[in-house]
Amino acid sequence: MQTILNVNDLSVNFDTSQGLIKAVDNISFSIKKGECLGIAGESGSGKTQTFFSITGILSDNGSATGIADFNNVDLLKLTEKELSEIRGKKIGFIFQDPMTSLTPHMNIGNQLIEVSMIHKKNTKKDALKKAKEVLDIVKLPRIENLLKKYPHELSGGMRQRVMIGISLMCDPLFIVADEPTTALDVTTQKEILKIFNDLKKYKDITIALISHDIGVISEVSDTILIMNEGRIIEKGNCKEVLTSPKHEYTKHLLSCVPEWMK
Amino acid sequence: MIQLIIKRLAIAIPTLIIIIAFVFGLMRVAPGGPFTNERALPPEIEQKINEAYDLDKPLIQQFGIYLSKIAKGDLGPSYKYKDFTVNELILSGFPISLTLGISAIIISLLLGSLLGIIAAIKRNTIFDYAVMGVSLIGICVPSFVLAPILSLFFGLYLGFLPISGWNGGNIYNLILPVVSLSLPQIAIISRMMRSSTIETLNSNFIRTARAKGIPKRRIITKHVIRSSILPIIDYLAPATAGLMTGSIIIEQIFGLPGIGRYFVVGALQRDYTLVSGVMILYASLLMFLILLSDILRAILDPRVKIK
Amino acid sequence: MNIKHYSKDDLDNILSVKGNSLYSDAFKRLLKNKASLTSLIILSLITLLSVFGPYFLQYDFYETDWNSIYLPPSLESGHYFGTDGNGRDLLVRILYGGRLSLSIGIIATLVSVIIGVTYGTIAGYFGGKLDTIMMRIVEILYAMPYLIFVIILMVVFGRNIYLLFLAIGAVEWLTMARIVRGQTISIKEKEFIEASKSLGQSSFLIIIKHIIPNLAGTIIVYITLMVPSVIILESFLSFLGLGVQEPLTSWGVLISEGSREMETAWWLLIFPGLFMVLTLASLNFIGDGLRDALDPKEY
Repeated sequence: MQTILNVNDLSVNFDTSQGLIKAVDNISFSIKKGECLGIAGESGSGKTQTFFSITGILSDNGSATGIADFNNVDLLKLTEKELSEIRGKKIGFIFQDPMTSLTPHMNIGNQLIEVSMIHKKNTKKDALKKAKEVLDIVKLPRIENLLKKYPHELSGGMRQRVMIGISLMCDPLFIVADEPTTALDVTTQKEILKIFNDLKKYKDITIALISHDIGVISEVSDTILIMNEGRIIEKGNCKEVLTSPKHEYTKHLLSCVPEWMK
Repeated sequence: MIQLIIKRLAIAIPTLIIIIAFVFGLMRVAPGGPFTNERALPPEIEQKINEAYDLDKPLIQQFGIYLSKIAKGDLGPSYKYKDFTVNELILSGFPISLTLGISAIIISLLLGSLLGIIAAIKRNTIFDYAVMGVSLIGICVPSFVLAPILSLFFGLYLGFLPISGWNGGNIYNLILPVVSLSLPQIAIISRMMRSSTIETLNSNFIRTARAKGIPKRRIITKHVIRSSILPIIDYLAPATAGLMTGSIIIEQIFGLPGIGRYFVVGALQRDYTLVSGVMILYASLLMFLILLSDILRAILDPRVKIK
Repeated sequence: MNIKHYSKDDLDNILSVKGNSLYSDAFKRLLKNKASLTSLIILSLITLLSVFGPYFLQYDFYETDWNSIYLPPSLESGHYFGTDGNGRDLLVRILYGGRLSLSIGIIATLVSVIIGVTYGTIAGYFGGKLDTIMMRIVEILYAMPYLIFVIILMVVFGRNIYLLFLAIGAVEWLTMARIVRGQTISIKEKEFIEASKSLGQSSFLIIIKHIIPNLAGTIIVYITLMVPSVIILESFLSFLGLGVQEPLTSWGVLISEGSREMETAWWLLIFPGLFMVLTLASLNFIGDGLRDALDPKEY
């Protein structure tokens, strides 16, 4: 299978008032097309910053070095403008906090159609058609009505579905899902994870699933990266790593998962 | 929306009546006022006042009559300017004060917001420091210090601009008053706008917009501004109040015959009817602006409609 | 279970010790802030000069000298800041004006702090309907053009300096009341207030002994930000001729006179303006510095 993302010697630093902080320390990994990579680790392990850095959405005081070869283009060498043409079009994002991640004063329809109108130069009509399609994929009911609603009128689970819908607007090759289920209740979690499984199966989309929850990762991921303090501790096939962890830290992480989930 | 307007009016109208009652009450306790006996007025004015306020009727009825007259837009005769009603005086000054006030508020809002947004986007650059430095001066130098210094420099020293008079609303006569009136407001608004824009830029939904690959310019115009402008909308009424009080001074300094001028003259000469008329006008204008900013907020922020 | 019993005195001791170290830390942080430190020095200088300066100068503030009208500033004549149209020494007048402007600033601020803190703690501590009504009143008063109110008060009751203190104090308390109320609500949820309640302390004592000391930081910050706005308000009124009256003088009066005579004597406008602007800027910087110092986590 073809490799879609190949990261080499990636480091991410933040310039803070306490000096330079190394969030990601010289890591390398790759993702194959159509696979789902789970990235596990506690908060502050650098898992989120790894993906924010290669897609250029680090906060202003952050900087990254290394190579991030996506579809034969080194993302770290691109300008902000070139990167913004890839984000949303080839790479979709889903964030942790659905309550605050949608623009409060824009209705759902506009937040969806703006993506394909910008990247694909679609007409409003075509974009609306696409928007209805993606909302159907994420299993949202009463779509016509929904398009005119504002984020505060939706529940957390519905907003997260809209978020996934937004990421699907341009049929991306790759989706970065940063703790997509953390802020949701358990039943909604299950439904969202089912959408991820469907995307993998029917759409052939590559997914990077970032989570501190090993249970969530094991449900969707094929391969897994365990990160701690900005380094990769262990990587490999998801089942193998979880059933027979080699590294102490992985064992420690797994010991935090309740017995019945294993 | 209509519900909101009705709800706000339900607060604004009683407030206005309280203000009028306060003014009405003050005029009665005022020493040497229109309702005390130890005055020495020309009989024709005395008679006019008696007529105007129906002094022979019970107090509560007098207040009722006063209120209904105000509702019809009649503020009574001037206490010091013989042969003029307060309405006539206010009407003669209103166009001037309105021109001054509206130009100042438009300039403050546009320039203040624009500078604030650019300073926030170009945070920690020379532009940011320059805007914040100038706005610090705007905050620390009160208008009654700034205005004379500006006219000393541009009017007398450089001789560019006229330093006083209305001159039929000539644009050159307007520049110095409008600048000295707006500068403190530009300072406050640009600071507010800068900090609220920075806050919005750091919010999660802007990260989402960036992740959607939306060009920077569109992120600012479509996603940022509508959120970060909200504090400015709330500041609309206080800003107007600030401009009203500022214009009292500015009209004095630049010799403009506006309402503020009449207010000061009325205050110094104890022209009670004139002063209370201006007070009621100012209060009504403010109530209107509070209503306006509530409506604007409801339009800009969909979350408000729910309540 | 082992329950430790604290007496009222114990409780007060624990609280006061904690309070002191918090404030002394904040003071140290304030002194590290260069802008605040410079401002503190400038403000102290202006205050000391205003209080003691006139004793060391050879002129008196009401002393007219028809031989030295409109003298420009010079070192030789002894009129360092020049003289006005009555031949009075400007420096001495500025310092006297400073006494008045600063004391109005402080006294009117104290009046508004007393009203605001009382009002805010009562509304915040008792909450419920009382709070709703009290805050609605504040909201309504906020909507009023309060400066115009002060002017009307001055017109009706005559231009009296004590009334000026009172009138300014009476309109400036609104912001204080709002802030204090908010803080009181968050403080009253804390455990040590529960503890005092369970010890049977009266509401009045709890407010005086526990709530207000914990509000001190906030109050101090707002005092430093309120004094400049009061000074501006006084000068504003004096500028219009509605505030301080001759023979007394304040910075507002001097600036007003100066702006009328700036064509002949620029120094009459520039020097009082400079003193005033320096004072306002210093107070603003000190206020900002104090806010950062008392709440370091925010920055």
